[in-house]
Amino acid sequence: MSDRTAGIRAIAGKWLQDGTVEAVLGWEQGTYRDKTAPVLVRKAEEVDRLVFNERCTNNLMTYLKRDPVRSLNTVGIVAKGCDIKALIGLIQESQVPREKVKILAVTCPGVRNADGKRPVKCAACDVNTPVFYDEIVGEKIASNPDRAARFRDVEALEAMTPEERHRFWREQFDKCIRCYACRQACPLCICSRCIAEKNQPQWIETSAHPRGNFAWNLIRAYHLAGRCIECEACETACPADIPLMLLNRYMAKVVEQSFGYEAGKDPQTQPPLRTFKLDDDNSFIL
Amino acid sequence: MPYLKMDSADLPKVARKLAASGARLVLPVREGDERFYREGADPDSLDLTTIPKNSIKEFLFPKTEKILRYQYRGKDVTVEDVPPAAAGRTVIFGARPCDAASLPVVEPLWNWDYKDEFFNARRGATVVVTYACRTAPDEACFCVSVGLGPSSDQGSDVLLFPLDETVVAVRFVTAAGRELESAFAEFGKGEVAEEALEAFRKTGEASLAHRKKFDRVQGWLEAHFEDRLWEEKAFRCVGCGTCTFLCPTCHCFDIQDESCFDVGYRLKNWDACQFSLFTLHTSGHNPRDTQPKRYRQRIYHKYAIYPQKFGKILCTGCGRCVAHCPVNLSLYDVVATAQERAERGD
Repeated sequence: MSDRTAGIRAIAGKWLQDGTVEAVLGWEQGTYRDKTAPVLVRKAEEVDRLVFNERCTNNLMTYLKRDPVRSLNTVGIVAKGCDIKALIGLIQESQVPREKVKILAVTCPGVRNADGKRPVKCAACDVNTPVFYDEIVGEKIASNPDRAARFRDVEALEAMTPEERHRFWREQFDKCIRCYACRQACPLCICSRCIAEKNQPQWIETSAHPRGNFAWNLIRAYHLAGRCIECEACETACPADIPLMLLNRYMAKVVEQSFGYEAGKDPQTQPPLRTFKLDDDNSFIL
Repeated sequence: MPYLKMDSADLPKVARKLAASGARLVLPVREGDERFYREGADPDSLDLTTIPKNSIKEFLFPKTEKILRYQYRGKDVTVEDVPPAAAGRTVIFGARPCDAASLPVVEPLWNWDYKDEFFNARRGATVVVTYACRTAPDEACFCVSVGLGPSSDQGSDVLLFPLDETVVAVRFVTAAGRELESAFAEFGKGEVAEEALEAFRKTGEASLAHRKKFDRVQGWLEAHFEDRLWEEKAFRCVGCGTCTFLCPTCHCFDIQDESCFDVGYRLKNWDACQFSLFTLHTSGHNPRDTQPKRYRQRIYHKYAIYPQKFGKILCTGCGRCVAHCPVNLSLYDVVATAQERAERGD
């Protein structure tokens, strides 16, 4: 058992024992290959189910928006630095009261996807040792972020002509089957009724044809502009293998350039597209 | 009857001949680290190394399909049928047995009280050349649990048995399959006796990691609609619908009208029981208001309701919902738990 797993179990057990939280949300060993699976531990004697390893890829903050976690008064959540960025977003947007969540932070050397590769977010990670938490386990790890890694693929896309870019996205969106796995896995897609489900009027065509697929994928990206914390949950969940993070990172790049803002850093700030400031750059308005 | 023996290296050539005959050719190809069944791909890109991520259902039941056209003219509206799209004769080349077997499973549904002319037109024009599994292509496979197997011929017109890395035995299963015989004949390198296939079948079945027989699941489900199992297992479901969309047998669809100015179409689009909107009433009431209830519905439909109605399990054990669930909510684990509890009378 790793030190991190032992540390998580100890703190989760203490919290459940003394009633600090009603349940602890974490990862347990899965049943398919080396996958891990989200688990909700309600009793101190069950904390041995909790594990931490480099296949703990799921961003558990997505459970805060749905039952049974939504209706708990207090919940402990085992979280990597990148997951905590999502919680910061949820706190900023008044979706989750800070006092409801006890953050059991774990230092993270980086995770691996099913294909064994490190995600881009790990190369660019600046929170290997989380900075916003209630308790922390694991040896401290100094971050050495390759910040350029975030936008490398975006820049390759920007170098294309508009026609090439359109063809690229047309091919990618043709694969979309409109399952909305991207939305469901996302911790920051918080609408209780998504615009894709509003049919009076029907804002977005639900058919998986090019028009419907462009509309859906672009709306999803827009709604996450300046909010996406780049956890890659959408791209990992996508059963059609669409490179959704290219869209999200492009939006992140534009927001950074326009407003000097990066999502998921500071719970005291507000995402730029949620606020109005008199000194905002208005030069794009004719 | 002896089977035709041929080199597996000649399979793309057979596929090319079938495409040249004017058929719409669907075959598994590699994309990134995954395989996908794709229409119109180059036969040389045929990749039979493992089970594709999508199923073959989209070639018989497209993800979106026009079913009627309407047009406003002043105060009048004219409505006309859109005949089933002319996809033409289709050869699915290199389907896995679990995909081929999905066709006879869903056929009764499409021909129940209403005969679905769209599915039936495509089904009637489709020939399936199946590539049997020498060993289970993935640890998620559980075809044996639902009464099928890596050599099953259910739904197949031609069955290819990869005896080793280089040799394939070919069995023409149906009359439609025998019509393809000429495309294979010139690559024949002798014959394989039927007995040799028995060893192939046994090796295949023995290679599955999941082999529990699901023969008591239906009865258990019928008595355990309200059970702790559903909340316990399915709390983690995020409702993404990946399982239903990749499933070869899930077949629910939604009807949508889409118009542009005076002209519009009624469409039949894939839908999923994992979405809250699926059962949301106009009143605002939702009988399946939480994700565990929606997950339970999927299991019930496959292992209790469909067997009650059509005498078949609505699952071929392909394992896609196990392998691709983003939160590792394994259908095999859940159904195996039901079977185990039935066995111990719990």
